[in-house]
Amino acid sequence: MRSPIPVFDCHGHLGTHPDFPAWKQSAEEMLQVMDLLNVEVLAITSTRACNNNCPRGNAEVAEALQKYPHRFRGYITVNPQPPGEALRELERWSHFHHPPLIKLHPECHQYPVNGEHYRPVWDYANQTHAVVLVHTWDSDPKCGPLLLGPIAHAFPQAKIILGHSGVTWRGYEQSFAVAAEASNTFLDITGSQSHRTIIERAVARFGAHRVLFGSDMPYLEAAMVLGRLLSARISDEDKEKILRTNFASLLEEGHD
Amino acid sequence: MAAWNVFDANVRLGHSGIHGELALETGDLLEEMDRLGIQRALVSHFASEEYDAEEGNNLLASECDERLTPAWAALPDPLFIQKLVTRDPQAVHLSFGVKKHNFSWAPWCSGELYEYLEENSVLALVAREDIEWDSLARLLGDYSRLQVLLLETGYRAERYLFPLFKQHPNLYIDTSTYVAHRQLESFVDKFGPMRLLFGSRLPLYTAGAALGVLATARISDDARLAIAGGNLRRLLGRKSQ
Repeated sequence: MRSPIPVFDCHGHLGTHPDFPAWKQSAEEMLQVMDLLNVEVLAITSTRACNNNCPRGNAEVAEALQKYPHRFRGYITVNPQPPGEALRELERWSHFHHPPLIKLHPECHQYPVNGEHYRPVWDYANQTHAVVLVHTWDSDPKCGPLLLGPIAHAFPQAKIILGHSGVTWRGYEQSFAVAAEASNTFLDITGSQSHRTIIERAVARFGAHRVLFGSDMPYLEAAMVLGRLLSARISDEDKEKILRTNFASLLEEGHD
Repeated sequence: MAAWNVFDANVRLGHSGIHGELALETGDLLEEMDRLGIQRALVSHFASEEYDAEEGNNLLASECDERLTPAWAALPDPLFIQKLVTRDPQAVHLSFGVKKHNFSWAPWCSGELYEYLEENSVLALVAREDIEWDSLARLLGDYSRLQVLLLETGYRAERYLFPLFKQHPNLYIDTSTYVAHRQLESFVDKFGPMRLLFGSRLPLYTAGAALGVLATARISDDARLAIAGGNLRRLLGRKSQ
């Protein structure tokens, strides 16, 4: 099994993780898997930045971008604490991409996505038309999908990707509620729970242009999400949008 | 996929009061299996988990197609074991959880059941959420001939699983939630392919996910065939030997 078209993957990582062994997670090993599955571009976040140290983690992403500029895109991961660090990181790595890609992980950073310390980040995202990938989880008080609805309305120029779409069946329902109200939100199908019929429901309700392919490589197996999508009962045209066109378009929207 | 002769080790059948329209009756389940190239499945019944073990077993008996092998609900009560024996089971599903069949895994409660399962080479399915790791380790140690298929381990459990695999040769897992990056091929590198069983978690999950993982694992064709169905056929075949 291989994607019939080169994939633009909106949700990847770089690095290891504390709670289970990391297999084949170097940039080079990920590139082997990307070639195997026909993933042309993977947008990566540093797991070090999500879990421990943003400045060091973002520097690792910078290194990967320098080494493999045609295969990786880099999210700038920001932590709302201590106050001020987030904007410093956004300025420091502003050369990554235009529009900028920003990653928020309120669960790992233990701070609610609608909290005051995130406000400068949302202002920055709105001003720069940034693509903001937010980790979401069903009903979580820090990153439940429903928290993103008011944010999407308050910062309409930001393109908000609901990372994992809330993960669980109920999380997807919450993400659908947000997507129905805010056109600047997008549903990321990355996740360990491969709910039957959920992709079909998302496409039927919102159209394929609101759905993005993400793998979570090298946390999760990219072939799992690829298998979910390729076996979904949607048209080939819709699969092409999800696999490539939608995220590629988001990356390009800030260009002249 | 058809050439793999896929035998899915983790499927549920029938009406569900929890999962609504995701649940599939026999005809629709077989249609979904056909669509994805799955030849056979080992099935539990939602009614067993959600309502009554014996009622679910009766429904399994009446609703199972020849392509569907029952994983009968089992309780430790002597009278239930007697009824189970009449079904001549190849596999049972032990649902220890307090919101399921609510009984202890421990020998003082379930010892008689384990002895029957061991003596008759019956495969025992246990969902990870229904047993703690320490309890599983003791169960495998106390009943070393019991073949245990641990379902839905998740992808973050290797620091528990690997020591258990080293110590207990009759432990197996299904692949439905064993979905970390390159995890399947890394397992095969470490332990070989004989203790991994393809599982989809149909009808709750799409089988396309687990099939995608198996299809793209960088393992030998023999290993892929074993995981796809050969291992489960071997385990169920022990019953008739």
